[in-house]
Amino acid sequence: MKRYAFFPGCLIPTRHPAMEFAIRHTLPKLGIEIVDLEGTSCCPDPIYFKSKDKMSWLAVAARNLTLAEEQGLDIFTNCSGCTATLSETYHLLEDMSLREKVNQRLKRIGREYKGTSKIRHIVTLLRDVAGYDAIRESVVRPLDGLKVAIHYGCHLLKPSRIMQVDDPNDPSVMERLVEALGAVPVRHRNWYLCCGKACQREDIPSNMMHDLLGAVQEEEADILGLICPTCFGQFDHGQMKVSKQFGEDFHTPPIYYFQLLAFAQGVPYDKLGLERQRFKPECLRQFETAAAAASSSETE
Amino acid sequence: MPDEPEKKDDVVKVNFDFRRELAEKIEGNLASFCYQCGACVGDCPATMYSDTFNPREIMLKVLYGLGDELLGEDSVMWECTNCYNCHERCPQEVKPVEVIISLKNMLADRGIYPDPVAKVIKTFEETGRTTPLSGAVDKQRERFGLPPLSVVPMDEISLLIEPAPPEGEDN
Repeated sequence: MKRYAFFPGCLIPTRHPAMEFAIRHTLPKLGIEIVDLEGTSCCPDPIYFKSKDKMSWLAVAARNLTLAEEQGLDIFTNCSGCTATLSETYHLLEDMSLREKVNQRLKRIGREYKGTSKIRHIVTLLRDVAGYDAIRESVVRPLDGLKVAIHYGCHLLKPSRIMQVDDPNDPSVMERLVEALGAVPVRHRNWYLCCGKACQREDIPSNMMHDLLGAVQEEEADILGLICPTCFGQFDHGQMKVSKQFGEDFHTPPIYYFQLLAFAQGVPYDKLGLERQRFKPECLRQFETAAAAASSSETE
Repeated sequence: MPDEPEKKDDVVKVNFDFRRELAEKIEGNLASFCYQCGACVGDCPATMYSDTFNPREIMLKVLYGLGDELLGEDSVMWECTNCYNCHERCPQEVKPVEVIISLKNMLADRGIYPDPVAKVIKTFEETGRTTPLSGAVDKQRERFGLPPLSVVPMDEISLLIEPAPPEGEDN
């Protein structure tokens, strides 16, 4: 087992605990041990608090990183926003004069940032530590033929020099992760577009989401695979809002990748919290029945 | 002797006080490297959907020191979607999004935020999280067999987010 410190952030553990459940269920099956950190705070978020005071934002982010440094572990994140904050902090604090300033702040609470813990987005753990083959082998319920539209979101990929996850112009990690479950990934024509959540002028995100949802719907995918909890909100609750606002019938159910992985690894549909979504990926149930039928015919 | 050239009102006067204040922000001075190529505009989703937001124009106004146009109550800065495409595309590593964030820091210094932004900031400053804990959250976590969320040591967070004294930190 390879050990990584877990940075849960705010959105997933409070609003989407089912996503956290899926992470805690799936990673150990792939040889990754999750080490919980005591006393983490918000990363802090790269949109709101960073807009107030970037220096304080850096200091709090550096404090979070010192918690992993104390354990001598690299840290992994499950939210693209947390990854953005922590990776950017790591990158900025390679500048020793800025690190000195941040450490003067940290001195107030008896801490020091050393830059010894690297930040890994959870998909890079799957790709680089577990590997696609191990994921394929962990699947007991292959999602044969399931058409999964992919939306990467912005912060997973950009800025690529800082995030170091994948090629922002032609990423592949999500496609390969979906294929490892036996499903068929689909790239929709607006795959590069932002979900607009951070924008504070209401009509802009609505129009963006309208065009995004239209592009996803054109692909006639069974579900939409996501890796960012903020995008998830836009594609679930937001999908209902935008449908109503524009008088259109958008209806592709979104799913966070780790819930899909947990399902493929055998967690019953009803244990995944999917009934809490506005758009429920009920189409997954067919694989439950298929797997049950296959295993009963094997035992006969 | 020839007459002195007539002074025109439409000559841009660079407001260096504004530029100095911006340069003190972390990465606030990066716009100085902008050569106005517009690579940031082509991939900007806010530009695509807005008739008022244009990162190249914002960088130009920064270069001209047009602080009054950038830092008003109805600042266009909040239209930015924070997608980081401009950061990715800029050949000069200006990171327009970071310059915009520095401008937002200046807006915050003047007490100007949209209400939803102010609300999230307040939640973070009071609880250490942007989405606070509640009985309902605990119940949901229990249902999924998840451990209780660790307590945020607010004494540490509060100390960290206090501004540094003007004379600098004690060493």
